Amino acid sequence: MATMDVEDFIGQNRQLSDLVETFRSFSESEKQWKGRREFLFRNINDYEDPHLDQLLALSMVWANHVFLGCRYDAVLLEKVREMAEGIVVEDAPVFKTRDEVIKQQQQKVHAPAITH
Amino acid sequence: MGVPAFFRWLSRKYPSIIVHCLEEKAKEYNGIKIPVDTSKPNPNEVEFDNLYLDMNGIIHPCTHPEDKPAPKNEDEMMVAIFEYIDRLFNIVRPRRVLYMAIDGVAPRAKMNQQRSRRFRASKEGVELVEEKNKMREEVIQRGGYLPPEEIKERFDSNCITPGTEFMDNLAKCLRYYIADRLTNDPGWHNITVFLSDASVPGEGEHKIMDFIRRQRGRAENPGYADLIMLGLATHEPNFTIIREEFKPNKPRPCALCGQMGHEIKDCQGLAREKQGEHDEFADTVPVSEQEFIFIRLIVLREYLERELTMASLPFPFNFERSVDDWVFMCFFVGNDFLPHLPSLEIREGAIDRLVGIYKDVVHKTGGYLTENGFVNLERVELIMQAVGVAEDNIFKKRKDDDESFKRRMKEKKKRMKAHQGPSFVPGGQFAPQALGGRDRPIAVQNARQSAYEMRMQGNQRNQDAAQSLRAMMRNGKASSNDMDNRGVKRKAEDSDSEPEPEDNVRLWEEGWKQRYYKTKFDVDATDDEFRKKVVQSYVEGLCWVLRYYYQVNHTSATESSIIDFYPDDFAIDLNGKKYAWQGVALLPFVDERRLRAALADVYPDLSPEEVRRNSLGSDVVFVGKSHPLCDFIRELYLAESHEDTEIPAELCHGIQGILNLDEDPILPDKPVESPIPTLRDISSNNAVGIKFKDPQYDDGFVFKAVILPGAKIPNKVLKPGDWEQSNRGPWRPQLGFNPNRQQAHLDQSGFRKLNHYVDRNQGAGLFGARPSFDAQHRGGQYSNAPPPRNYHQGNYRPPQRDHYPQNQYSRPPPMNAAGPYPRFQQGSHGWDRAVQSQSTAYQQNQQRGRGGWRPPQNQQDTLLIFQGFGKGYGLPPPSRRNNWN
Repeated sequence: MATMDVEDFIGQNRQLSDLVETFRSFSESEKQWKGRREFLFRNINDYEDPHLDQLLALSMVWANHVFLGCRYDAVLLEKVREMAEGIVVEDAPVFKTRDEVIKQQQQKVHAPAITH
Repeated sequence: MGVPAFFRWLSRKYPSIIVHCLEEKAKEYNGIKIPVDTSKPNPNEVEFDNLYLDMNGIIHPCTHPEDKPAPKNEDEMMVAIFEYIDRLFNIVRPRRVLYMAIDGVAPRAKMNQQRSRRFRASKEGVELVEEKNKMREEVIQRGGYLPPEEIKERFDSNCITPGTEFMDNLAKCLRYYIADRLTNDPGWHNITVFLSDASVPGEGEHKIMDFIRRQRGRAENPGYADLIMLGLATHEPNFTIIREEFKPNKPRPCALCGQMGHEIKDCQGLAREKQGEHDEFADTVPVSEQEFIFIRLIVLREYLERELTMASLPFPFNFERSVDDWVFMCFFVGNDFLPHLPSLEIREGAIDRLVGIYKDVVHKTGGYLTENGFVNLERVELIMQAVGVAEDNIFKKRKDDDESFKRRMKEKKKRMKAHQGPSFVPGGQFAPQALGGRDRPIAVQNARQSAYEMRMQGNQRNQDAAQSLRAMMRNGKASSNDMDNRGVKRKAEDSDSEPEPEDNVRLWEEGWKQRYYKTKFDVDATDDEFRKKVVQSYVEGLCWVLRYYYQVNHTSATESSIIDFYPDDFAIDLNGKKYAWQGVALLPFVDERRLRAALADVYPDLSPEEVRRNSLGSDVVFVGKSHPLCDFIRELYLAESHEDTEIPAELCHGIQGILNLDEDPILPDKPVESPIPTLRDISSNNAVGIKFKDPQYDDGFVFKAVILPGAKIPNKVLKPGDWEQSNRGPWRPQLGFNPNRQQAHLDQSGFRKLNHYVDRNQGAGLFGARPSFDAQHRGGQYSNAPPPRNYHQGNYRPPQRDHYPQNQYSRPPPMNAAGPYPRFQQGSHGWDRAVQSQSTAYQQNQQRGRGGWRPPQNQQDTLLIFQGFGKGYGLPPPSRRNNWN
């Protein structure tokens, strides 16, 4: 959905979009919310009550991955990537995960010594 | 800021607040250990009323110690915990109350920090296991020896949390411990013991403060979670904290072979050296045992009074209010819940800066920052504005200091390297000859000729080097070989220096505000609204922290609805630091509603045991048979009355509270089974236990931050500001708790002996017959104060508290005491100077010559809190070198 489409969608589905708006967290910035909102719109038809919480969890898995740098189980990540297909996030932040930091440090430690 | 950073700053700025603890050791005769009699007077020359233990500070170091091998099983852990409590009890010897508080469920806000620690610990645990296995392989392949891998589960410190089997077991073991000590230890006979285990919600420190506050019937100002702050916030005049003395860079045993001296990555699996002829010292730990220190808040208050007192204010100065404000300002520099402002670093003197600003602001605004836990935001804003003005310079200076530090380190490294070998070795007949060789050195021949030749050679080399340099400058290429065949290669040197840690914010560079918000929040500089939200939330958070301590405490994978709370890996914001553990873990937000909903689904599946562990528990109080409250409690059980009953105040030193029968109580004469195989059952138990609830107050009750009327204010300790002018002679600082400590000294023959054996170059009669001011202040190098073992001899009368005069009386120390002196003895302490200078003079022995034992002169109704310090927060993981930032 391009931005225009999202706006259209919201216009035509007032009730739904009002509901989804209640899922926004206080700490989410405009950029983060836009992305996750689209994720929810794209997939909400597949998750009827009482399974709505699962969708919320998955939307957070995606958002945590994109905006916070979390890594989850590969299968899980693959699933949310599919669900998020089409969403465009401009200027996504770049992170170094803890595992990567540790690995980097270990490589320095085990680097071959320079002899002279 | 971690606890160590703050404490280090505090103890350096206000050194007199620290007193080393004297710990009387158990004696051993023929292999049998005689326990210390803690009912005897406290060798620290002070008597304490109450001891409050924040148990998590004990549980962590006993279950996963950093400086010794881990206990092999849970039973060993429990025994270690008992022994640790025994040590504290021995040092403090509370005469009224022992209160043990274990962390229950923490407030939601604290959970972020806890989660962060636990995610980290979990990942580090996995890494350690992997590294261990890898090293094991390597060592064995190389032919080294390693002790067979015991089937011991690696202790997961994350089980030190409410609701686990471990904590349940711990509660059971502590009940046994309490019953045993109440029955068997004379020092425990008349005290009231409270146990608030993990089933009671609230952090340990908070539970303690709650108890104190409710007993006072007043409220303290909320304070910082750190006990020092909380202690100040109670406004109790006589508050002392006991904690382990921090010794940085203590050696740790290798995690693979258990020996000292190397880390796991250097382990070679060498056979351990025999300790003693038959390896009989094998299990003695070579490191020194940890020591404890007292932190006297009363002295801290004295210091603060000097620092915060403000003259010519438009309103009356109130010291207690200014203390509360000081506590609040320390929040900005660090607290348990929120990150501190980047411009406020404790080691850069942030607190001093804030105090300076504070004193200005108070004049402008005409009032204090806080009142009974409520924050005056307008006034706080003035302070923050002043900080804002200074921020740019703070960051620049920080960078400059960093750079010059790095430069100095580099220089130092260069110097160290340079000493590894001379940069020029003479050749030819001047070449160095090894000593003791077969050939005797030949006499030098024609030295002038050789010297000339060497100069010429040197010249040639110089010219070559110059040419090479010119060539390099022309071509812009480094031709390194010619330049570097002498001395240290620059390449190697540079590769040794650590690469700069990543820093995407660079606070010292223009534009840092924009980068800060972009990097941390992914928000543009133009998004003013979001930035305001951040500020608002932060301030709200700080107010919440204050209120937290003010409010009385009265809480599958793709299908899971909470799967997002548990990432496999998470980003680290290194924040300009080098190592992962120094960074901030970016953990996902936990949505409370979803969490509760998910849990509600699971509750029906819990076993009855699990349900019990998951339910709210109650504090329990224990007393011994000889305690006045014992019979009252026994009656309650006999009557089987299951209603709330108030404690009759006269039976319990005025302690208030509500009692209720325990389901599975500890009763006198009912045997108590030992949960630990190595420890005996208690066949004739003397203790009784019953559930306890703090006195309740109405919701609207306001706790005031004041000193209670009738409170005994202890004497001042610090040198008065006008001492010099008053012409009262040299100032003698108070060491320890007793202002009238007897300085023991030798008679004439003793000094003659000393002067004979000590280096005479230092001047004749270094030790005069009369102890000079100087000698005393060197700490009394040779003192005939005997070690504690002599303590118990002679007449002993237990302290009769009611007969003490209200005001402390002072006796001038005798200048020339008559009577026999105890002989100079070598105690088991050894003659460590530090210990000597603090509190080893024993009045008892001096006074005995004058007829009978007298109670210590320094009687105090003091409260004492144990502040554990190996909790694991703020400390780096065990596999790294301590790097205190």
